[in-house]
Formats: sequence, structure tokens, C-alpha cells
Amino acid sequence: MNCQEFWESNPEMHMEGGGAQHGAGGTDSAQHAAECQSCAAQLRRHQALKGGLRTMAAQLRHLEAPARVEAGLLAAYRTQKRVMTGRARRHWWVPVFSWAATAAALIAVAVLLLNPSQPPSPARRPVPGSVELASAGAPDFDANASAETDDDFIPLPNAENLDPDEEVNVVRMEVPRSTMMAVGLPVSADRVSELVEADVMVGADGVARAIRFVDE
Amino acid sequence: MSLAPPETDDDLYDRLRSGDETAFLTLYRRRQGAIYRFAVHMSGSASQAEDVTQEVFLALLRDECGYDPSRGTLSGYLFGIARKLLLRHLERTRSDVPLETDNEESVIAELAVDDSPLEDLTHREGIESLRRAIRTLPRRYREVVVLCDLEEVDYADAAGVLGCPIGTVRSRLHRARALLLDKLNQERHSKPSVSTLKPLRCVV
Repeated sequence: MNCQEFWESNPEMHMEGGGAQHGAGGTDSAQHAAECQSCAAQLRRHQALKGGLRTMAAQLRHLEAPARVEAGLLAAYRTQKRVMTGRARRHWWVPVFSWAATAAALIAVAVLLLNPSQPPSPARRPVPGSVELASAGAPDFDANASAETDDDFIPLPNAENLDPDEEVNVVRMEVPRSTMMAVGLPVSADRVSELVEADVMVGADGVARAIRFVDE
Repeated sequence: MSLAPPETDDDLYDRLRSGDETAFLTLYRRRQGAIYRFAVHMSGSASQAEDVTQEVFLALLRDECGYDPSRGTLSGYLFGIARKLLLRHLERTRSDVPLETDNEESVIAELAVDDSPLEDLTHREGIESLRRAIRTLPRRYREVVVLCDLEEVDYADAAGVLGCPIGTVRSRLHRARALLLDKLNQERHSKPSVSTLKPLRCVV
């Protein structure tokens, strides 16, 4: 074995522990180290370095990140866990709501298509009262019904029932045409972003209960 | 009675992803020391090492943390993130002291003819010298010494962390050790021995 072969055979591995030899490569390495003083000296230097590195590693083993890092990370983990839990909670009802809304829209379209004899709504309705905000008695309709009422007010989804004697306000305003979709009315895709005038019936508690479109 | 084997990093990782706080703490306590020490050695700054350690484990918490057990160990993944963060910081600050030797082979050749024995590096003074020598190594050699020699990361994992073949890890480690020996030798020769110092005045 020459010097190059000696170093390529990884002599540090073979001769660790004061010359312990492992296998044929170890025997050859030991023989070369015994014959070549230069390689033997260099090997001793490498072994001394390795010993120093081991000692240094052992001395530094106690070196750890301060406790505040753990505390900060734990807080971050808990926050993230809450967010994840929140997301999981939302997940169950989002698809249910989507399917329910889609089903309601399809039913409304089907009702409109199967009932062509229904008289067309007037092109333009008079403004309720002399001012935009007007008080009126509660119209006779069931807020949960999906069909339009006698006044052509359409109950808003999830709106509470109105008491028969409840005072309501009707406000005329412009709403996006997409609002019509929310109550099951057909809207062409290219007009979704347009505004349309509508009368919104607001209960005594200030919550909108029904809507009537002035210009459809 | 046999003790149950400790949970693997991957088991803990799976549990922490499903919200198990204990698993997160166990994994953090098992791995934070090595990451922190690696960052200390590479940056030379305790406060920066603290930031890096925090960032590494925050990255693990992200939804798209990118850890894939089929591509390497979790420990290697954590070291890899730490290394990227440190490199980014070094690029920003340029605080690294480059000691790129154009002809590193010549250093090794010189060492081959220097037969003088080294002082015992396991003593306190020797360890201090060694620490200084490591600190002044070029980054690519310093990181391989810290990973393989100080943190005992195996060559395959180190290759994953450094993004290079195992052979490159071996050759870098060999050169790094040669450079360390050279630095230690230079320091030993430049340091005057106690016997050569002459007292100016006796105060006793």
C-alpha cells in the first residue's frame, strides 16, 4: 500500500482507538503507518483533531435555545390549532349551505318555468309613500314561504316571521342584480353586475325581511 | 419488562399535524438543541441563532411546510431550513469572513510534510483554539464540520441538507479537517511559549 492508497482507505476509521484494526483494509493501513513515518504522524494529527472535535461536541451539548423560544412557539402552535379547529368547524356547514342555496334556486326556476300563466309584474312600481322611508303594516305573508306574496314581496332566505301587527318600513334602494339570484329569480350572467331598484321591507328590529324588485 | 421504543420524529410530526401539543413539544425539545448550536456556529451570534431556531420550527407548523419523509429525515429537513435562513441572513449582512483558498490542495500537501505533533486538543486551551479555527473556516467547510463532526449528522443526511452528493460531503470534510489542522498549527507557531517570556518586573 502506498501513501495515496493509505489515505483513500480512510485510515482514521480503521485505526481508531489506539490502533485497533478492522478487516483487511485495517491491517494494510496499520502496516503502512508502521512503515511510513510521515503518514503515521499525519494520522496522529487527524486523530488528535477528531478527539478535540468530540470533546468540543460533548462540551457544547448543553447549549440550547432559550426557554422563551419554546414559549413563543407553543403560543404560535396553540393559535394555529385554534384556527385549524375553526376551519374544521366551518367546513361542515359550507357545503350544506351551498347545496341548499342551489336547490332553492333550481326550485324557484322550475316554478317560474312551469307556471307561465302568472301575470307579468308591472314594469315599474310606484315609490312607497312620498319619501323613501315609509311605515306600513306587516303584509300578510309567511316569511318562510318561497313563493311571492300578494304584494310581490319575496321573503328573504332565513328571515324571521313577521308578526301580523308588526310595524315595518319599506325602503327603495338600488341593489345588485345578483340579489335576485339569492331569492331564486333567474338572472342572465352578463347582467349580474348591474344595479336594479328594489323595495326592501325592514322589520321593527331593523332587519330586512323581504324584497320586491321594481325593475326586473 | 421491556421499555417501549421512543417515538420516531415522523410519528411525532404526524401527531403534531393533527393538533397534538405534546408531540410538538417532544419533537421541539428533541431537535432544538442541534438546530440552535448549528446556527450559533454558523452565525456566531446567539440572538440570531435564537431567531433561526424559532423560524425553523414555525416553518414546520405551516400548512405547506414541504416536509416529505420519502426525501429525507425530519432532522435533515430542519437543518436544511436553518441553513437556508442563515444563508439568507449572510447574504443580507455579508458578515461572513471568507477565507476561500484558491489552492486548497496545496494546504493539504503542506500538512503532509508537517510532522510536528499537535498539543492535546481535548484540554480547555486546545478546545478554545479549535473553536476559533472552526469560526474562521469558509462557510462551506464550516457547515460540514459542524454537521458531521459536532452534531454527528450522518453523511447521507448532510448531503441532503447541503444539496450535494455524499462524495462531496466526504471531500469537503477531508479538506475542512486539513484546513483546521493548518490553522491550529499556525496558531501554535505564532504563539510564544511561556518559557520564552521574560518578566519585566517582579512585583512580589
